[in-house]
Amino acid sequence: MQHYIVDAAQVPWKRSASEGVGFACQVLLSGDDGGPEALRFRFDDCPSVYAHMHLTPQFQLLLNGAMDFPRGVKHLEALAIHYTDHNMPYGPFAVSGSHEMLVLHPRAGGIISMANVEARRKINLRGRLFASLASDSEWQPLPGAEPSVFKLLMPPDLGPAAVVVRAPAHAAMSMPAAEFGRYEVVLEGAVIIQGQELGPPGFRYVRGHEPVEPLMTGEAGASVAFLSFDRDANEGGITGEALAVEAAAAMARAI
Amino acid sequence: MSETATVTENGKSADPFRVVVFADFVCPYSFLAVDQIDRLAREYEVQPLWRPHWLHPDTPPEGSPREADSAGRRERLHAWVKEMAPDQYPRIHFPEKRQYSFLAFEALEFARARGVDFEFKTAVYDLMWTEEGDIGDPATLMAAAERAGIDASDLEIALSEHIYAQSAVDAVNQARALGITNTPTIILGRTRINGWHYYEVLQSVMEQQGARPRAALAN
Repeated sequence: MQHYIVDAAQVPWKRSASEGVGFACQVLLSGDDGGPEALRFRFDDCPSVYAHMHLTPQFQLLLNGAMDFPRGVKHLEALAIHYTDHNMPYGPFAVSGSHEMLVLHPRAGGIISMANVEARRKINLRGRLFASLASDSEWQPLPGAEPSVFKLLMPPDLGPAAVVVRAPAHAAMSMPAAEFGRYEVVLEGAVIIQGQELGPPGFRYVRGHEPVEPLMTGEAGASVAFLSFDRDANEGGITGEALAVEAAAAMARAI
Repeated sequence: MSETATVTENGKSADPFRVVVFADFVCPYSFLAVDQIDRLAREYEVQPLWRPHWLHPDTPPEGSPREADSAGRRERLHAWVKEMAPDQYPRIHFPEKRQYSFLAFEALEFARARGVDFEFKTAVYDLMWTEEGDIGDPATLMAAAERAGIDASDLEIALSEHIYAQSAVDAVNQARALGITNTPTIILGRTRINGWHYYEVLQSVMEQQGARPRAALAN
């Protein structure tokens, strides 16, 4: 069973740059213990963040600003989700408008620029990529828990799942077991876990075969994004291979 | 909603080395694929076939103004091409208007009937994307014909009388029937790559199906 609670407000920010792209970053979970890796980024406006991939699946949760992917003419504005399987490249993309996002991996994922020709030979040819804006989905009543509502950000049959739940004060948000790992990110309001109150964008990460205790919403209620991995969470990662070592080193340099 | 290429298997091809590219001359990503596919033809025992996938059937023969692209969107496209195709970027001229593809599709059928469609398509792409040619203008296509070594005056007649129009329509319909939605869509044997991808990916797909580079075969 993996269980992590992170209060983002308690983690220091750091300025950094990667391949000439400047950003501020919080390392919310390092992944050094074999557990999940979670980062919070605020990129400076940039027309071209270089194409790259990570060696684990990834949720990018866009909390503020915009990201633009010229191919496919995909424009993401917060709140939005961008999911990739392990070794699935994306970009280059532009960031703008006081950008802020969470980058969420089930394990340390490293980063590899697609300028690396060897990395291109390791691309996951069956990899999935999905992006959507929360504003494209309608709120729906949560059966049996009205007036709570939810909206799906990813198709229910894709495998990995992304759903946002909005609940009033003092409501219990229950979810099934998270066999492959799930991030539960507070977007609005506050939740209480084990006596600890978490505001945006604090989160819990759970992974295991048993359900965990429900999140309890605070005095003002809460909106929470539940981001669940599927079996791709077992693939890739920082192994002893040369490319993985390089990916880990590149991530360490970047953050 | 994808901004990168996807790869699927169709499992139906008996010939693992069949290479077919569905593309539109007006698509910048298709232009970037030309060098890749030409290189594939040099390095492997394959004879790529280029077939039309008509992106903008609503474009009139004289072309149409580009959509009200924001400067930012254009800047992002340039940044994308500059990073993904750094060797080609300096010579690319992005057209000021959306050009009419169908005349070039007719010309491609004309060239195919003469066995030089592979060379002809490269000439058309070069004229449009690096020499500011308008492929809705028969003169541009006649220049491409000359480069491909076929009679430009014959092409002029064929275009004016629309001799290959039905053949081009059939080709466009074939792409639709196959469910082609991306340009380019590259079929390598049993694998379909929906959208532009890295050359190394094309190599990997080829070699996973047993294709070996000419250099390896020679050794």
